[in-house]
Amino acid sequence: MDFSRIELDEDQRGFTEEVRGLLSECISEEEQDRQYRDGSGFDETLHFALGSKGWLMPTWPVEHGGAGLDPVRARVLELELQRAKVSDMTLLNLRAVWPAIEKHLDAALVAELRPGVARGYIRFCLGYTEPDGGSDIAAAKFRATRDGDDWILNGSKIFTTEAHNSQFIFLLTRTDPTRPKHEGLTMFLVPTASPGIEIQAIRTFGGERTNIVYFDDVRVSDRFRLGRVNGGWTVLRGPLDEEHSLGGPKSGLEDLSIGSHYADVLARAVQVAADWAATAVRADGRKVSQDDAVKMRLGMAAADVEVALSTPGPMGRVFGSEALIRGSADLVDLVGADGLLTATSRRPNGLNELEFAHRYAQGTATYGGTVEVFRNIISQHILGLPRLDLRGRKAFLQNSATPR
Amino acid sequence: MVESGIRLQDYSLSAEQEWLRETFHKFFEKECPTAVVRSAEPLGFDAELWQKLLRMGIASMGLPPSAGGDGATLIELGIIAEEVGRSIAPVPFISHIVATRLLAATNALDDVLIQAIHGYQIVTLALQPLQSGQPQLVPDAAIAAGVVALVNDELSLYRRGLPAGHVENHGRTPLGRWQPSDGAECLTLARGNEANTIHRHAVMEWKILMAAALVGLTEASLSLAVDFAKARYTMGVPIGSLQGVAFPLADVAIGVAGARNLTRRAAWTAEYEPASSFEIALMSFANAARLATRGTTTSAHMQGGLGFTAEADASLFFLRSKGWGLLAGDPMRDFVTIGESLVASNAATDEPFISADQ
Repeated sequence: MDFSRIELDEDQRGFTEEVRGLLSECISEEEQDRQYRDGSGFDETLHFALGSKGWLMPTWPVEHGGAGLDPVRARVLELELQRAKVSDMTLLNLRAVWPAIEKHLDAALVAELRPGVARGYIRFCLGYTEPDGGSDIAAAKFRATRDGDDWILNGSKIFTTEAHNSQFIFLLTRTDPTRPKHEGLTMFLVPTASPGIEIQAIRTFGGERTNIVYFDDVRVSDRFRLGRVNGGWTVLRGPLDEEHSLGGPKSGLEDLSIGSHYADVLARAVQVAADWAATAVRADGRKVSQDDAVKMRLGMAAADVEVALSTPGPMGRVFGSEALIRGSADLVDLVGADGLLTATSRRPNGLNELEFAHRYAQGTATYGGTVEVFRNIISQHILGLPRLDLRGRKAFLQNSATPR
Repeated sequence: MVESGIRLQDYSLSAEQEWLRETFHKFFEKECPTAVVRSAEPLGFDAELWQKLLRMGIASMGLPPSAGGDGATLIELGIIAEEVGRSIAPVPFISHIVATRLLAATNALDDVLIQAIHGYQIVTLALQPLQSGQPQLVPDAAIAAGVVALVNDELSLYRRGLPAGHVENHGRTPLGRWQPSDGAECLTLARGNEANTIHRHAVMEWKILMAAALVGLTEASLSLAVDFAKARYTMGVPIGSLQGVAFPLADVAIGVAGARNLTRRAAWTAEYEPASSFEIALMSFANAARLATRGTTTSAHMQGGLGFTAEADASLFFLRSKGWGLLAGDPMRDFVTIGESLVASNAATDEPFISADQ
């Protein structure tokens, strides 16, 4: 057990300054404003700037395009990016799928891709969910059929966030509908520029843009297959475990779960609300800072932040998301109608982070598998409760939803 | 709150700490089955179990070597408290440990401490500051030979004329209605600001250890419910395979995992960065107190009507979740205090914000 503050040495402090310097140079208000308005969490200029330093894959060795950072510097970088509110979607995708690509894709192709990944001009989106499938991704109906040395792809994938900024889609397909559900799947890495692919934007009330991607007789070489034919589930397990926070901590510096990201959003909202409470005065002249109901709710939200940061693995993922949902809604209430103004309003009042957090929070209960999926994981793997034997658990049910 | 700078986030136990946990886990499993808990009711004290614990050195463990102790930190004491909670052991572990640590910190007279270290005398702490003459419900006062209390800004050890009369209560604990009078001998330990600071620190230690105990208590209650949900069938399937049963239990497991880690961090902070430990101590306690209520309610309910019977062990955990946790007062007050310090730290630096026009 150790929660000591790590005193940075001169070199490490220099590194911190270098990171801050690059971020303040590359992040412009106009660009942030554009991202806010169009919902795209991707800043290409910044992404390339990070890539040129080897900071996209910071722990990779320099010869592979990384920066060979030690765990302390890697953590400094992570926290600085978080502090600058750099969207982490592209990076999360990259780090989730790369180990599987490295392990299961043709070695020559991996070597071709690696420098581009490190530099930032090769990015990935996740092609898991289908419009009628939801979180049960192993029920995928998306078809891949063999044609000589190629495969022909037909179907659609939804919630392919960042697809429009990605060069490849990490794609889950069904190659054998006659086999049991998990045994007829195959993974591919498909260039998003392939003829027959159409990417359409989907807007969310959280403000983010995600996508639906349609595949119409898209041809991909067998070279882009990952792992065995019908062995897709094995390939996918690694990235899924990563997304499900099942990896466990390594250096004692990492966050305990993805829930820490959500805790961070709540922490900022608490800060904004506490700033407000410190000085705001009610119309009748009473100081907000004298109001115990306000203080109690700030205290509860602040405690939830700390609980979220302390809760490990899949439990932390659920708690972090739901603490943010609960806390942001309550902090908006606390402030009242002032908490409703958006960043785009003509007279912003500095409280728009609350309004934003309340919208953003809702998506977190679905990202990377819904909180219900995670409760299943907790029930079965942590509490050892029996799994319900449903008809579609192991069998691929072709007619379980309207075929497209 | 989240601060800038890098910290380690290592919640794991060392090999020695793991050994300690294992040792006390086995001890309570063997020596304190729920039959022991039941037979100690309604007073909630098993003298024989307490003697066995004293023989394991539990009373002196958390005292500094200068006072004849082993210098165990709040982290180790928290590990033991979690096992006390898991077995809902009818012993005054938290009261006695916190009160003796306070006595050692104030250099109380040797003979007083020696009596306490050996457990010849049980001492406890009145958790709320008192006005003279005002009675207060004090944990374990019904079995204690000494009560440490902060009365009119004077911190004293009251002896003789004790123990206070037991008042039967929800949690079946040795709660006593106590007041600083009636011929008690009074040994003054500190006055004024110093007295307040020491008392506040002791209450903080009490809350951290109680948070740890409530984590163990809730987890034990959860595991009863999980066992039940695996064995009880409905419509041909175990009820634990149904999400309506499994999910509430998963929520308790989520709460336990977070509360345990937060409590560990609070104990570590109190030990190594005491100046900044007050808020996190309150958070760990208020969070664990609310978890214990919710967790034992859920665990009893998942066992249906059977879980509601006095015969079911679930009832023992349910009654002690409030019966232990509430002794330090309303957890919501702690949230107010946390919010207050948040607002105060902002008020110091800020320009006026906006008007709250409503």
